[in-house]
Amino acid sequence: MTPTLLGRWQTRLLLMETVGLVITLLFCGGFFGNEENAIFFWLLQYIVVFGLGWDYLYIQIQNFRWDQDWPAALQWLAALWEGLFLILLREVAAIELPGTEDWDSGLFIVHYSFVWIAIFITSQSLMRLIFPRWRFRGGQWL
Amino acid sequence: MSTIPGQIRLSWQDPVTGEQKNPLLTCPIAFGREFARMPADLQGQRVARIVLNSSQVSRYHTLIEWVQGHIQVTDQNSSNGTWVNGVLQPSCNVSSGDLIKIGPYEIALMFTLDGRGLPTAEASEQSIIQVPEPEAAAEPDATPVNVLPPAFQAHQVGVQDLYATQLPIEEIDYLAVGAGLGSFIWVNFLRIFGAAPQQIRALGIADRPYARYQRLCLNSQIPPHERLRSNSDSCPDNIWGWPGYALREAWHEFNKGKTKAAWHYLWQVFAEPTFAQTYTPRAGNVFASIDREAVRIGWPQIYRFGRVRAIRQTNDGRYAIAYSPGRRQTAFVIARHVHLATGYPVLQFLPDLKAYREQTRDFKSVVNAYEDHNHVYETLERQGGTVILRGRGIVASRIIQRLHEARHRNPHISILHLMRSPKPQGNRFGKAQRLVDNHFEFQPFNWPKACWGGTLREVLEQATPDQRTNLLADWGGTTTADRLDWKQLVQTGLDQGWYQITFGEVTRVVPNAQARPTTYIQEQGPRGEIQLEADFIIDATGLDSKVKTSPLLNDLVTHYNLPLNPAGRLAVTNDFELLEMRNQQGRMYGAGAITFGGPYAAVDSFLGLQYTALQAVDGLVAARAPNLHRLNGLNSLRQWLKWAQNQAP
Repeated sequence: MTPTLLGRWQTRLLLMETVGLVITLLFCGGFFGNEENAIFFWLLQYIVVFGLGWDYLYIQIQNFRWDQDWPAALQWLAALWEGLFLILLREVAAIELPGTEDWDSGLFIVHYSFVWIAIFITSQSLMRLIFPRWRFRGGQWL
Repeated sequence: MSTIPGQIRLSWQDPVTGEQKNPLLTCPIAFGREFARMPADLQGQRVARIVLNSSQVSRYHTLIEWVQGHIQVTDQNSSNGTWVNGVLQPSCNVSSGDLIKIGPYEIALMFTLDGRGLPTAEASEQSIIQVPEPEAAAEPDATPVNVLPPAFQAHQVGVQDLYATQLPIEEIDYLAVGAGLGSFIWVNFLRIFGAAPQQIRALGIADRPYARYQRLCLNSQIPPHERLRSNSDSCPDNIWGWPGYALREAWHEFNKGKTKAAWHYLWQVFAEPTFAQTYTPRAGNVFASIDREAVRIGWPQIYRFGRVRAIRQTNDGRYAIAYSPGRRQTAFVIARHVHLATGYPVLQFLPDLKAYREQTRDFKSVVNAYEDHNHVYETLERQGGTVILRGRGIVASRIIQRLHEARHRNPHISILHLMRSPKPQGNRFGKAQRLVDNHFEFQPFNWPKACWGGTLREVLEQATPDQRTNLLADWGGTTTADRLDWKQLVQTGLDQGWYQITFGEVTRVVPNAQARPTTYIQEQGPRGEIQLEADFIIDATGLDSKVKTSPLLNDLVTHYNLPLNPAGRLAVTNDFELLEMRNQQGRMYGAGAITFGGPYAAVDSFLGLQYTALQAVDGLVAARAPNLHRLNGLNSLRQWLKWAQNQAP
C-alpha cells in the first residue's frame, strides 16, 4: 500500500464503521459466548478516534521511506501497537475511558483481533473490487 | 577540431529522460535551478548558464571558471554542495575527466589546457536507432504522409472529401492507435465500462497486444520463466489488480503440493520491500493472463492490422485516421474518440557506439541490449571473451546474470562494466535517500512506489510543469532491482575477478588491428586516457520516446501545433487528454511513454497504463461518450465476478 493521509482516514473510517462494526455488534450481542455488553462498541470508537491521530504519525514515518509506501507487514505492526496502546492505557496508566468500565483484557484482545483481521482481509480484496480507483488514490474512496 | 583554452566539453545523462547531453562551452559556466538567478556576465565575459532541474540543486549552484591556466570549480554556497570526484569541494582546480556532481546530475568535464583538440561528440538527437520489427510486419514501401490524399492536408478534413476518394472507410466510436499494451488496457476499460466490441477498433502491427513488449523482453534476456520488474497487483488482465500475480502463483503452487513455494510468495507480498525481496511475476504468466483477457473482451474482433499514417480532425467533431492495411494500400477510420499509445519508437544508443557502428558497419560486436543479440552469448559460450557493458539499470543486471549463465558453459568469459562515475550515495528526496551497493542504485521499480498511487502521485499531479521536471529528476535516474541473487552475483564476480567495474568517460570507440572494438576512456585523476579491448560491447542504456522520433506523432504535433511538455513528449491534462485536439464532442487521449514528463511518472508501466486508462475513460464518461457508464460499487463488483468466471463483460 502507498496510502496518503486522507486515504488512511477515509479507509479507516469506512472499514471500521462497516466491517468492524458488524463484528463489534456481534460481540455486543454476546454471539461469541461472552456476556452482552456495549463496551465493544465504545472500544471500536476509541480505536477509530485514536487511529486518526496514529495515521498522522504513520504518514510522517512514511516520509522517511524512499518509496513512501506502507507494506502489509507495517500495517500489522501498527495494528499491534494500536491495540497495545489501549491495553497500556488501561492496565498501566489506569485510565478508564468513558463506556469501558467493564474492561477485560482477554476479551479486548479477542475482539480487537477479529476486527483487525476482518478489516485487513477486506482492505486487501473487496475494497479493490468495489472501489476501482481506491488503490490509485492512496486509499481515498470518496 | 581545435579549441580555445577554457573550452570544456560537458557530458551528462539527463536524470529525467536518460538522454545524453554533450554541450561544448567556454568558461565561465554557471549551473543552477533558475536561469535568472545566475549571473549573465562576469568581468565582462558572457556566462554560459546551464539550468539543472531538481530540488536538490540551488538557484545558483556552481561556477566553472578559467583562472590562471587552470579550470576552477567553485560552489556558490549551495544547500547541497558541489561534489568533485565524490568529494565535497567548496572550490578546487579540476582536470579533464573529472566528474562534478550537482544534486542528481553527474557531469563529466573534458578539456585540454593548451586548447588542442577535444573529442567531438554527436548530438543526442542522432543517437537513436529504430526498434527492429519482426520480418512479417516490416514493410519497406511505407506510404509517407505526403502521398496521402490532398483532403488530408486540411486543418479539418471534410468527411465527404474522404468518401470521394473511393478508398475504404470505416466509422466507429472508439479507436485505439498502437494496439500494444497501452491500447489493450484502454480497450479493456472501455469494454468493462459498457462499450461493445463493434464500437471499438484497435490499429497496430501485431495481433497480440504484448508482442512488442515481449520482443523487447526476449532481446534484453528475459525469457518466459524469468521475472519482470513489475508488482504483484499490476495486472494488465485485471483492472482491479486482484487477485494479484503473487496470489495466483501461490494458489497454483499450492495445488501442485508445493506449499513452501506458495507461502514464500505470500510472505513476499506481505513483507516487501522492507522485510522480504519484492515479488515480481514471471513474464510467461503475465502474457498468458493477457491472452485470456484478450479473448474475454473480444480483442480479436477489435484488432485490425494497420500502419497508422496520419491523424486529422474532421469537420463534424470527429477524427480521421489514415492507415495502410497492407502494401501500398490506404484506408480510413473515422472515430469519435481516439486513444494514442504508440510506445517507444526508437532505441537510445550511446553516441560513441552509434558512431562506431556507422563507421565500421559492424553490427555484431557493438549491440544494443534491446536488439536481438543472442549471437553474443552463443559466440562467448563457444570461444570465451570479454564484454564491455554500458549502463547500470535493470537491463544491465539481467545481462550480467545471462553472462554468468554463459560462464557455466565457458569460464573464459569476463565482464568489464564501464560506468561513468562511482555511486557512493543514492538520490535524496525530502527525508529519504535511495539505497546503493557496489555502485548500483536500488529501487523495487523504476519509480518510487508512491508514484503509482500514493503521496508522490498526488504531489506530481498538483505540480506546475517546471516543478514536475524537478520532481522527476529527484525520483528518476537509473536504478536496478534489489535482488539478492544479482547482488551476490556481482559480489562473487568482483571477488573472483571475472566481473570488474571501471569508471571513466568514453572519448571514442574505434576498431583495433583485429577489428575488435577498442574503447578509449578518460579516467578521473592522473592516469589520463586508457584503452579497453573487448570482443563485444553491449549498450544497456535504454529506450527513447521523444515525439520527434515518431513520424506519426511528429506530423500530428506539426499539423496542429500541439504543445510538448518540458521532457519533449505530448502535453496532456491530468486525465491524459490532448486538450488542443478536442473537436466538439470528440476527445483524444494519450498514454504510455509518449506522455512521459506530465502529470504521472510511471506512464510506461502496467499499473501506470491502467491508471491513465482509468483517468481517460472516466473523462469519456463525463463527456457522455456512447454506451459508457461510470464503474463503481456493486456494478464494479459484478464486473469483477464476470472476470472471475471468464465471461464477456
